[in-house]
Amino acid sequence: MKYLVLLIGDGAEKPWPEQTEAEQTAAMAKFGAFDAACRARDGIELLAGEALSDSRDATVMRTSVDGRVALTDGPYTEVIEGMGGFYLLEAPDLDVVVDLLRVLPAYDIQIHPTIDVSG
Amino acid sequence: MDQLEEVVREEWGRLVALLLSQFRRLDLVEDALGDAVEAASRTWPVDGTPGNPAAWLMTAARRRVLDRLRSEDVARRKEPLLRIDAERHEEGARTMADAGSLVEDDVLRLVLMCAHPALVPEAASALSLRLVLGVPTPDIARLFLVPEPTMAARLTRAKKRIVGAGIPFAVPDASALPERLDVVAQTSYLAFTAGYSPGTGPDLLRAAASGEAIRLVRVVLGLRPDEPSLVALLALMLLQHSRRDARVRDGRLVLLTDQDRTRWHHDEVAEAIRLLARPCLAGPLSPLAASYVLQARIAAEHATATAAEDTRWDRIVRWYDLLLQVAPSPSARLARAVAVAEDSGTAAGLTALEGIEIADSHRPAAVRAELLARAGDVDAARAAYDQAVAACRNDVEREFLVGKRDAL
Repeated sequence: MKYLVLLIGDGAEKPWPEQTEAEQTAAMAKFGAFDAACRARDGIELLAGEALSDSRDATVMRTSVDGRVALTDGPYTEVIEGMGGFYLLEAPDLDVVVDLLRVLPAYDIQIHPTIDVSG
Repeated sequence: MDQLEEVVREEWGRLVALLLSQFRRLDLVEDALGDAVEAASRTWPVDGTPGNPAAWLMTAARRRVLDRLRSEDVARRKEPLLRIDAERHEEGARTMADAGSLVEDDVLRLVLMCAHPALVPEAASALSLRLVLGVPTPDIARLFLVPEPTMAARLTRAKKRIVGAGIPFAVPDASALPERLDVVAQTSYLAFTAGYSPGTGPDLLRAAASGEAIRLVRVVLGLRPDEPSLVALLALMLLQHSRRDARVRDGRLVLLTDQDRTRWHHDEVAEAIRLLARPCLAGPLSPLAASYVLQARIAAEHATATAAEDTRWDRIVRWYDLLLQVAPSPSARLARAVAVAEDSGTAAGLTALEGIEIADSHRPAAVRAELLARAGDVDAARAAYDQAVAACRNDVEREFLVGKRDAL
């Protein structure tokens, strides 16, 4: 069994840009601790985890019955109700990703770049 | 136009494209080029215009970008770069080998990046005018009827999104190119129509800015001369634009039938007719290209009629029938109803008008009012004019409708 864990909304946390440097460091330490805990426990494998960039950088791709593709600016607001699976893939740009995804069933797909936080 | 203005007008897109392919910094290139133009406006009148003005601007802009890159704090997270892959770069160049040099290929990359389907159409349209043509932001703001800071923010947001979403500075495979050029056509047409309608303020038409959209299509056609959607769109735009000087008299809207046809730009009409005869429009067309061809043929019927009463409304009705098959829309049905009324009489027009509704538009009511007035049904006509006046948001058009109502 595999699980997709979505970190969605800020919840009880302050929004990231409003946190002090110390608070941000503490939050990063918790991500590190989660990573370590997963590695330490038998039967758990953290396959992929990424921080998403601003949701305004997301693109929604819709394919009509006649195969035409329409792209819209911004995230897919029904994403939680509609989430059916995910891929994490390395690709040179948005056009390449859209081109590859054309072979999939005509789902609504949110394409969302990740950001590199490794420094 | 002085020499600097001319160089900027002719070379802006090419310089932006070259700077982007070299530095991949969408956030810096435009400012650097703006600075270079500003420097030229100071030094050229004193030192004389350089032998190769475009190269001078390129060198100055490149120096500005390098200055900015040097001054950036290297310890900070690096600014994201525009996606431009070396391998794809070469592939794109091969695709374009028949159409021109690598430099022209870079301009095509720029056009396709600005008119990307993942951008909001209005933003894509504005960005194309700004980056490909160098149209100043205040002019673009006036064209789209928004305050200048709003337009500046929209352009900045579009540029950030291009880098953030990974929209590439690249030419797609030949198989995907026609679809993308259809988006370029739609983007250009949006900029064009923004200049003519439907304004909410007193400025009925901003024809000069619409002319820039025509220039955009000409730039792309220079790179892809036989692209059907662009050839058809240029014809359609030229036919509509050719009437600009006759559309308004003393700040009032003049209907097509009442326009002084000697004030139409007949050279533009002739060019459009030649474009419509091009062999590339004879084959099977995409729905978009076909709809542009049919709209252009309708406009051409008007443009080639020597007087309003000589208009071949029977042919226009047939073109609209075809258009409704290719691209059905309430606006096209409304226009067809007008043509039917001219061709077969008021009663037939009113029948064709039944059931047509366009959200937030005064036009269906205005047409009904006109036809009812012709039929002599003054009370119903007045009611329809009231409805049209209430829905109309353009000052000049509203005044026109009020005048019609009061003359009943």
